[in-house]
Amino acid sequence: MAERTTPEQSGEIAESDFAEMVRRHQSMVFSIAQHFLADRPAAEELAQDVFLQLHSSLATLKSAEHVTFWLRKVTAHRCIDYKRRRKLPQVSLEDAPEPAAPARSGDPFLARRMRQFVASLPETPRMVVILRYQEEMGAEDIASALDMPLATVKSHLQRSLAMLREKVTRAIGEVTI
Amino acid sequence: MNHVDVENDLKNALRRENAPEGFADRVLARAANRGSSPKAVPRNSWLDFFARPLVRWAALAAISAGTIFGVHVHNVRRQRAEGEAAKERLILALRIAGSKLQLAKSKVNEINANQTHGDQSQEEKE
Repeated sequence: MAERTTPEQSGEIAESDFAEMVRRHQSMVFSIAQHFLADRPAAEELAQDVFLQLHSSLATLKSAEHVTFWLRKVTAHRCIDYKRRRKLPQVSLEDAPEPAAPARSGDPFLARRMRQFVASLPETPRMVVILRYQEEMGAEDIASALDMPLATVKSHLQRSLAMLREKVTRAIGEVTI
Repeated sequence: MNHVDVENDLKNALRRENAPEGFADRVLARAANRGSSPKAVPRNSWLDFFARPLVRWAALAAISAGTIFGVHVHNVRRQRAEGEAAKERLILALRIAGSKLQLAKSKVNEINANQTHGDQSQEEKE
C-alpha cells in the first residue's frame, strides 16, 4: 500500500495539518498495532500515543513521505517495546484473540487462521512480516524502520515464511507454494 | 481449500483495518488537552547536543567523577584539620607535663637544700 505524496507537501509540515495527518494515517497506524498486538483496545491506545508523539515532533518532520516513514517506524518500535515491557506470554495459536474486523476479501477462515499464525511469531519477525505484507514495504525500508541490517530482515522474512507455510500446511494440509 | 501461495494469503489477512469509530477525534482531543499548540522542537538547539545517548552518558560519568572527587577532597581536608587539632593538643599536653616536671624538680631541690642546711646546724651544735 504505497503512500501517495503530493508535490506541494515536500516542504515543512504545518501544525494545522495535524488533524489531516491523523485522518489520513489512522488506518495504517492502527492496523500495524492491531495486527501486532491482536488486542483492539491496546492497539487503539498505542496508536493514539503514536499520534501524540507525532504532534510533539511536527517541527522535526519535513515532508509527507517523512511523516509516513516516521509513523511506521515509531509504531513498530512502540509495538515491540510494549510487548517486551509487559512481558506477555507468547500467544498460542488456539488462544490468539480474534481481530474484530475480518479481512475484506479472500477466505475469511484462512485469513483468521493466518492472523493467528502471525500473532504466534516472535516479536521482531512478526513486525517484519506485518510491515512487508500489510504496508508492502521493501526489505531495505523495513531494515531502515527497524534499525537492523538488511540481511537480518531478509533472514526474518525467509524463516517466518517457511514457518507460516509449515503451520498452514499442517493446519489445512493443502497449500500450494 | 486451494490457495495460490502463502504470500497472497498474508496480504489478504494483513489488510489495513479501519481505525475505531471516533479515533481521530479522540486523538485530537488528547492533543488539545496537552497544549494548544504542538511542542516545537527547536532544530540545532544546544539542548539537542545533550539528547544524544553518548553525550548523556558522558555527562553522567563527568558528574559522578566530579562528585567522587569532591567527596575525596572534603575527606582529605577533614583529616588534615583533625591532625592539626591533635597536634595542638599534644603540644599543650607536653607543655603541661614539662611545667609539672619543673615544679617537681624545684620541690626536690628545696627539700635537698633544707636537709643540707639541717645537717650543718647539727654539726655546729656538736
